[in-house]
Amino acid sequence: MTVAVKSRFLDLRSLAALEHMRFTTRHRIEGAFSGRNRSQSQNGAGEFVDYREYSAGEDPRRLDWKVLARSGRAYLRLYQDETNLTCTLALDTSASMLFGGHRPATKGLNKLAYAQYLATALSYVIARGQDQVGLALLGENLREMIPPGGTTSHLARLHAAIETIATEPGTKMAAALTQLFEKSTRRGVLLLVSDFLMEDLEEVFAAVRQFRHRQWETVVLHLIDPDEERLPEGVAYRFEGLEREGSVDCSPAEIRHEYEIRFASHVATVRSMALSLACDYRPISTIVDYLQVLRGFLVERAG
Amino acid sequence: MTFLHLWPIYLGALAAAVPLAVHWLTRPRPRKMPLSTLRFVREMAEQRRARNRLRDFLILALRVAAVLLLAWAVARPLLRTGTAAAPDEVGNVARVVLLDVSQSMAASQGGIEAFERARARAAEHFKFERGMRANLIRAGATARPAFDHLSNNQGALRDELARTRVQPQRLNVQPALALAARIFSEESSESSQREFIVISDFQRTSWTNADFSVLPADTKIELETVAPAEPLENMAVLGVAVDGHPVQGKQSRLDVEIGNFAPTARRVTCDVALGDLAYRLEGVCPANGKITLSQDVVLASVGWKTGRARLVDQLDALSVDDERDFALNVHVPAPLALVTRQRPDDVHASSFYLERALAPYPPGQHADSQRVQRVDPAAIDADALAAAELVILDHPGKLSEETIGLLAGLLKRGRAIWYLVAEPSDAVNLKQMTLAAGSALQMPVEFSPPQTGRPRRDLFWSELKEDQAPFAIFGDSLKKATAALRFAGGLASSRLAGGLADDLVAQYGDHSAALVICASGAGTLAVWNADLGRSNLPASPVFVPLVDELVDRLLGDRKRSSPIFSGEPAAVYLPPEVHAAAGLKIDAGSTANSPALGELVDEAQGVVWRMPSAVPPGIYRVERGGQTVFALASELPPEESDLRSLAPEVLKQRMSGGRQVQYRSVDERDNVDDLWTWLAVAATVAMLVELIVLRVFRV
Repeated sequence: MTVAVKSRFLDLRSLAALEHMRFTTRHRIEGAFSGRNRSQSQNGAGEFVDYREYSAGEDPRRLDWKVLARSGRAYLRLYQDETNLTCTLALDTSASMLFGGHRPATKGLNKLAYAQYLATALSYVIARGQDQVGLALLGENLREMIPPGGTTSHLARLHAAIETIATEPGTKMAAALTQLFEKSTRRGVLLLVSDFLMEDLEEVFAAVRQFRHRQWETVVLHLIDPDEERLPEGVAYRFEGLEREGSVDCSPAEIRHEYEIRFASHVATVRSMALSLACDYRPISTIVDYLQVLRGFLVERAG
Repeated sequence: MTFLHLWPIYLGALAAAVPLAVHWLTRPRPRKMPLSTLRFVREMAEQRRARNRLRDFLILALRVAAVLLLAWAVARPLLRTGTAAAPDEVGNVARVVLLDVSQSMAASQGGIEAFERARARAAEHFKFERGMRANLIRAGATARPAFDHLSNNQGALRDELARTRVQPQRLNVQPALALAARIFSEESSESSQREFIVISDFQRTSWTNADFSVLPADTKIELETVAPAEPLENMAVLGVAVDGHPVQGKQSRLDVEIGNFAPTARRVTCDVALGDLAYRLEGVCPANGKITLSQDVVLASVGWKTGRARLVDQLDALSVDDERDFALNVHVPAPLALVTRQRPDDVHASSFYLERALAPYPPGQHADSQRVQRVDPAAIDADALAAAELVILDHPGKLSEETIGLLAGLLKRGRAIWYLVAEPSDAVNLKQMTLAAGSALQMPVEFSPPQTGRPRRDLFWSELKEDQAPFAIFGDSLKKATAALRFAGGLASSRLAGGLADDLVAQYGDHSAALVICASGAGTLAVWNADLGRSNLPASPVFVPLVDELVDRLLGDRKRSSPIFSGEPAAVYLPPEVHAAAGLKIDAGSTANSPALGELVDEAQGVVWRMPSAVPPGIYRVERGGQTVFALASELPPEESDLRSLAPEVLKQRMSGGRQVQYRSVDERDNVDDLWTWLAVAATVAMLVELIVLRVFRV
């Protein structure tokens, strides 16, 4: 597969190592085209997988007449259709994603760049697997949505959109997710990439619950910068918010312990809320190379 | 409240800003840093903010408090509860501080002299106060003001105070009070508040006769004592004397009087050095009493001798009185001059009996003509009289004015005169002698010829001073021995208002004087009012011992009558053999530069050594051609050795004269002034609390 316009976040040489891997799901899915993924439909001409006793009202065309003739009992033949995967990458574009830690710029990426690398690579992997991938940029509202597609030009458009993401200050994301839900017409996989540093966390997961109710498989990728987990060493800092939150003067030493507890509590809350909705929750530290994260993610999902 | 130093207050006010400045300057300069989790930090910081503000406030307050308390402590705040106006009060204050500089103020307790504490206290009264005019009176034997009038130059007063030292003198209180009254009276402003502050040890011996009524009625009097609550214990050599008339080769008795001013008896050891001789005297001195340690001495050489008596191993409050110098003149045996008109061969004459009693000789031997020399009053040889130890006048008849003047001069210069008055002319002679001696001779009675028709006979002694010479020697048998004595002749007498009753040693049954012994200058005059020739005394066995005792007393009194106390004006007659002041030189030894040495002046009755204020304690010699013709020991007044203080109630009530008097101890005041130590402790506590606060707040 070739990409028409190469994104600066797309490193094909590195992704070559993941060529044999593809993004899969254990759930049966609903796709538009045939593919490698099991479809929710078992009516088609797919591979025979099982029998099931006939119930009234079912399509009699799927009866196994030979078994009926031999045993006098009515069984249906079940065939597993295989269809393609429809993924939607939902990226958090709030300003908090610009946080890149206190380390030098050469030592790591900020969360947005990390998300851009990760989303670009993931979309490439998905598209390479004959699946469709879409993009949603989440701010306080749904800023942009590219419906899932699998063509090269679609992927190029998607990569371009990822490359040109601009953050906006905002501390809420639930409305954007709801809008995304309303615009999504087919079931699929929702890959929600965010740092979850928003005020409406419960509302966000309420929106995720909507996706889950519609049988979407939801993968929550929680980006965590290691410098968010602990405060820097030093006597005094003036911490400035990234989302028009003003600034706070404090001595990190005085609140370090309480802060760490508070942040761990936040992570645990996100994890708990995600798991309670049967989401695939995956915390990602931005200090770890995104390819390594992606490889582990794909391997784990491949089962 | 006042402050010993004001500059720390101003400095402290400035320094109080230092913690604020340090707090502001050392406030951490925050580094700007973007943070995505600001929400969490804000939550934590909000929880910490109130705690941090409390911490910062506490630390800042404690630091400022520590600085201010330290400045306050250095400023030495003084709590003033007395009558003195506080320094911040605006008003006219006329303040006179009387500082006792007498010798007793040198008494030390815990290594600190009372005077040092008194001076420090006095300095506090000369701190600058608006509207205050002040003066300092240094009270010793004389009162010396720092300025003639009240002055607002308090710096100069403090300088004068710094130069003030303890003087080896006793305190003469009343002149100092009179001086203070004069200074107050010259203060023109009627609205001034008069404050009279006395800083002294209020010795019982010095303050008993103080009378504050000489001060203006509205004067506020503040008495501040430096004496401790319990009197300081002190031992002292109070006096050294040679009993009797020291004569070459004859035994004399050296008496050293020791005083023990302590509540317990003490064993005393006293080393006495007299010329080449040295003695060690020992005894037990009773509590708050005196003891006289005696030593018989035989002085081999003639002339002026000096010596020193010194207490051994006495650690007491006042060390300067543990030794005392003394001087004495060793005479060659000198005759007694009997001035009489009676013939020596008149065996019934009064002079005959007297001569026999003065120079008794065993039966079968001739009289000692060298011992008693008869002198004709009509042809008196002045040199012969001056050379005599004792001049006895018996029926001298009417004496010439020249002779009267000569006798008065001898009296002033230390000679003793025994006058047996029996004739009317004797009354005239005595009257003229009294006039010639001036105020130095205060007779207790005035003699006059007996009234006509009232003959003086069958007189007997009725009132005798049994404990004095010449009667003390008879002891309990005095009445029995003298009961049969009958006297005749003599003069009538009448009491004089100014005379001392103690000088009247014996009286007759008709209340006329029988024997009068009184001091006159350095000499002693005894008047025997009887005609021995008409009395039965010469036939009595008491006659010779009576005469002998009287002569001994007269000769002994002559030597003892010349104590010179340091710091007090004095005029000393040099011995009669020193004819003129020309060629005389005063040898002051180590105190040669003392301005109080005075001068030697020729007067009609001899050479007088006049001292405006007697020289410091020590030995002083008058020499002519290298030969000592006179020696004098200037002594420390023995009263200064008694360190017991007068009761405060006596000072406040009996002596106040209706004035408002406050009495307090300088020690009490010092305790009040200990506030600075508590402030220093508080400053330290503030700093410690700051450390605790930092620890509690985990900074």
